[in-house]
Amino acid sequence: MTGQICDLPALELVRRLKRGEFSAGEALDSTLARIELVEGRSGSVQNTSADPLDAARVHAYITVTRERARQQARAVDRALASGEDPGPLAGVPLAVKDIFCVAGTPSTAGSRILANFVSPYTATPVARLEAAGALTIGKANLDEFTYGSSNESSAFNPTTRNPWAADRVPGGSSGGSAAAVAAGEATLSLGTDTSGSIRQPAAFCGVVGLKPTYGRVSRYGLIAFASSLDSPGPLARNTTDAALMLGAIAGPDWRDSTAANAPLTDYVAELEAGVQGLRVGLSPDFLRLRTPDAETGELREQGLQPEIEQAVRRVAETLAGLGAEIVEDVPMPSVRFAIPAYFVISRVEAASNLHRYDGVKYGHRAAGPAADLSQLYRRSRGEGFGTQPKLRILMGMYVSGAQYEKRYYEQALRVRTAIRRDFERAFDQEGPARLDALLAPTTPTTAFELGKVYGDSVLMQYADLLTVPANHAGIPALSVPAGLDTSRLPIGVQWMGPDFSEATLLRIGRAYERATADQPWRQIRPAILRELMSA
Amino acid sequence: MAEAPKPKPIDEQVFQHLVQLAALELQADEAEYLRHELNAQLDAIRELEAVRIALDLPITSHGVPYGPAIRPSPRGDQIRPSELADAILAQAPEVMDRYLVVPDLPRIDLE
Amino acid sequence: MPEYESVIGLETHIQVKTRSKIFCGCKADSWNDPPNVNICPVCTGLPGVLPVLNQEVVAKAVQLASALHAESIQGESYFARKNYFYPDLPKGYQISQYDEPLARAGRFELPLPGRALATVGISRLHLEEDAGRTIYQAGRRLIDFNRCGVPLVEMVTEPDLRSADEVAQFLIRLRQLLRWLDISDADMERGQLRCDANVSIREPGSQQLNPKTEIKNVNSITNVRQAVQAEIERQIREVEAGRTIESWTLDWDDERGVLSRMRSKETEADYRYFREPDLLPIRVEETEKRALQQALPELPLARRARLVQAYGLPEYDAEILTEERSLADFFETSVKAYAGDPKRVSNWVMNDVLRLIRQAGATAGELGLQPAHLAEIIQLVDSGMITAGVGKELLEQARNAERSPRQLVEEQGLIQVTDSDVLREAAGKILQANPDQVESYRAGKKTILGWFVGQLMRETGGRADAKKARELLQELLER
Repeated sequence: MTGQICDLPALELVRRLKRGEFSAGEALDSTLARIELVEGRSGSVQNTSADPLDAARVHAYITVTRERARQQARAVDRALASGEDPGPLAGVPLAVKDIFCVAGTPSTAGSRILANFVSPYTATPVARLEAAGALTIGKANLDEFTYGSSNESSAFNPTTRNPWAADRVPGGSSGGSAAAVAAGEATLSLGTDTSGSIRQPAAFCGVVGLKPTYGRVSRYGLIAFASSLDSPGPLARNTTDAALMLGAIAGPDWRDSTAANAPLTDYVAELEAGVQGLRVGLSPDFLRLRTPDAETGELREQGLQPEIEQAVRRVAETLAGLGAEIVEDVPMPSVRFAIPAYFVISRVEAASNLHRYDGVKYGHRAAGPAADLSQLYRRSRGEGFGTQPKLRILMGMYVSGAQYEKRYYEQALRVRTAIRRDFERAFDQEGPARLDALLAPTTPTTAFELGKVYGDSVLMQYADLLTVPANHAGIPALSVPAGLDTSRLPIGVQWMGPDFSEATLLRIGRAYERATADQPWRQIRPAILRELMSA
Repeated sequence: MAEAPKPKPIDEQVFQHLVQLAALELQADEAEYLRHELNAQLDAIRELEAVRIALDLPITSHGVPYGPAIRPSPRGDQIRPSELADAILAQAPEVMDRYLVVPDLPRIDLE
Repeated sequence: MPEYESVIGLETHIQVKTRSKIFCGCKADSWNDPPNVNICPVCTGLPGVLPVLNQEVVAKAVQLASALHAESIQGESYFARKNYFYPDLPKGYQISQYDEPLARAGRFELPLPGRALATVGISRLHLEEDAGRTIYQAGRRLIDFNRCGVPLVEMVTEPDLRSADEVAQFLIRLRQLLRWLDISDADMERGQLRCDANVSIREPGSQQLNPKTEIKNVNSITNVRQAVQAEIERQIREVEAGRTIESWTLDWDDERGVLSRMRSKETEADYRYFREPDLLPIRVEETEKRALQQALPELPLARRARLVQAYGLPEYDAEILTEERSLADFFETSVKAYAGDPKRVSNWVMNDVLRLIRQAGATAGELGLQPAHLAEIIQLVDSGMITAGVGKELLEQARNAERSPRQLVEEQGLIQVTDSDVLREAAGKILQANPDQVESYRAGKKTILGWFVGQLMRETGGRADAKKARELLQELLER
């Protein structure tokens, strides 16, 4: 670790800030200096031509909100000076995935259709983070409307790169968020997870990503993809920071009637309780996968990237060594249908959620006079949406049509229930497995190359194979780094637990983190940082 | 249980209907790519049809069941003005006298 | 020319009277406001917003369903999205209910002139949000979102209505019920009660349902009657000419009195409904339902029947007195306070109180007249203390008055003059002052007596006992 403030984890940054070791203004300056060093051009719809410099930079952001952060830093420093409590996240630089509305900032969803939209209001989780003293550094790049697993579908170029290897994707859709946290361009990031969009990029970029229970964090202000699955949550350097951030954003919200009224926990306080006596399961259904062949499209039964399976085994052994009980062979028979069911549910909801972008109220309107209203709609939407939203709209239209609705949509909802039942059985304290958590790899592979998968919408969707079951079930899942593969790319593993068991998952993650703190892979820094900082 | 007949791929006519419903103006090459990808997705989705699943399995709107313990309390009938009306109008592409403006939809009279 | 029977079903949209909108905290009533002021990110469909249900809307809808004898008010019903593009629909979908509405299978008892009660089936009743308003102007549309998210109950009838007149009667009675229950102000001109009519025709006795057209956008009971009549006549002309009826959606232009339809195929219904994931199911607990039902007042038709039975009123009186709930309340409270012949109270209410109500453009409840004061005024007239004319004037004064009518009478000296000496002196003066009129009376023009009575009334400020005055004047003139 270097001594730079921007590389400190959030909890430590806040402690040292409160001890007066540095000011919020200095914390901000440190992060802005890092952005200056590694960011390169931020994403823009105007950028069409490639620049040779782009390849070695991160491009995590669409908008850097320096002035907003500067004002927030001043407020924190004033509070500190006058002896007031500046909040639990005082001075912590925060990247907000640009799927959240933040008043006065371009809130683009990575889409041309919202490129000129400046939100008049602020999303609840962002408002809570800002109220807790966080400094909003900027809006992070993402797949257009979160539709993707690589960030390559964003209308804002250049594409975000993986700080660990500039030729690799950062994952997605919260790719800018994960890359920013990994590269020190932000200490924390607020992302969203609909089928793995927090956990998969967290795994690819070697950071911690938590998808909370559906309803744990308010969705107000989150530009909707699949409303029944979308979960806002933290991306952070370690489990402690994820716990700290979850504590700030969780809880009911009168503006979201699906924000659960479940009791709140002090997630940080429970972190160090260890795993003694906890039952952690492994399921063959999360280790043997069915994915489409890249050439023929046929579904094939195949294993994971071997290093990932080995990492999962090592994690299980570590936990066993700490006193956890490992339960092998937990059956999860329905998760293999998670992707086709997700294809249907998410498209139906997405198509409807995208109806509002019509060139009338905000966002892109096709230039020039329109012959009539429907031409205005068709042109504005045709020009404003990229390929991924168009695909989702059309598929949503198809599977929700009256003649297909029962065949596809209802069947998909039944599959969702079946997946939920699998988890309920695994977590049932009277059942055979009686799990506190299920351990699984986060992704079938480590970060893939830019351009390798993009364009094949089916293969891209299968990147979410291991993450989407938790979204169907609504349950929480925590992904943590668990080593590097031979190409020095991060490997992620995840724990899934029963509804509102975030504290337990974070506890397990923290125990694993502490037990492996001295392992050599933890000392290795992302390649882009190594190169640019030694230059 | 009998296998459902294998649905036809999305042909040009069905595709055009979807495009019309979706209110999208597409370039020709773009349309071709989209139709190809839709059919590839449809192949994946068809796996669902093979799923043997109890038809009495309940359908829910969310994975998490919203039992009485966690259900948010209902909203009372209180006015909470947003004070954002002007900021909202400021985002609209065309406004006249506080109205948003769009072209008309033509109509015809009946005898 | 063969006869045709028309078959009409209505989809009514009722604006539920609440302070805030159905899914956000904006003010619901924008009648006197400029465009686009009562709006927020939620009701204008900004990216990222979510609906939150106003509980009062559910309570009022449950009361309405109960009043319509709905067999099933669902303990759990669901919102669904109805997807379509229209500029007055900011989200591109309307949050409505589809497969599981709040209530089904109700009925509406419709009294028809000269007939027994007709029963109009209510097939379903559900909650939804209103869309915005559009104004047509020179080839463009201007959009106002103030109305977006105003709570609506959609109530769908069976095709049980048989003429344009029956449609009008139904709407009049529905309006009465909605106001009676304080569910809606139900003013059609203000769009608080709207109705789409599904119209088809068939040969009498046939059970077949022919293709129907749907008339939308009609904003008064008169216009609904005209539009339905025009469409029935048009369909007959089409069928007579050997053409078939197509299932069009029609608009009624009330200024020009013509029906029109959209040119393109935008009306094609492909709404791709699915359950609204942003809202939890609507729950109506059994205890809550029972409490709401118990809070229901006696309904208009029951009240009408009771007024006839309990007070011996003619049907005609009972009908007028139950026009509006506070009027019926006013009547009954007045009768209790009066403790005399209810018909006498009814006469006062129907003639004099109603005149004040119409002049004020208010309801009986808003008039500021206490039933006890009406009773006292009638008693004062009955006892001969004041004249009927003074009584009528007192009604006006008694509005919002702090003192009782009796006190007003005493303060203003309005007590009826029955003292013969006083009246005789005043009459003598009048005869003296009008020798010509006296002359013509005595010459045989007896009808002029009324003029003399009027003069005497004026002289006494309306307080003269009219009978005595007449006798006295006659006596003096005959002399």
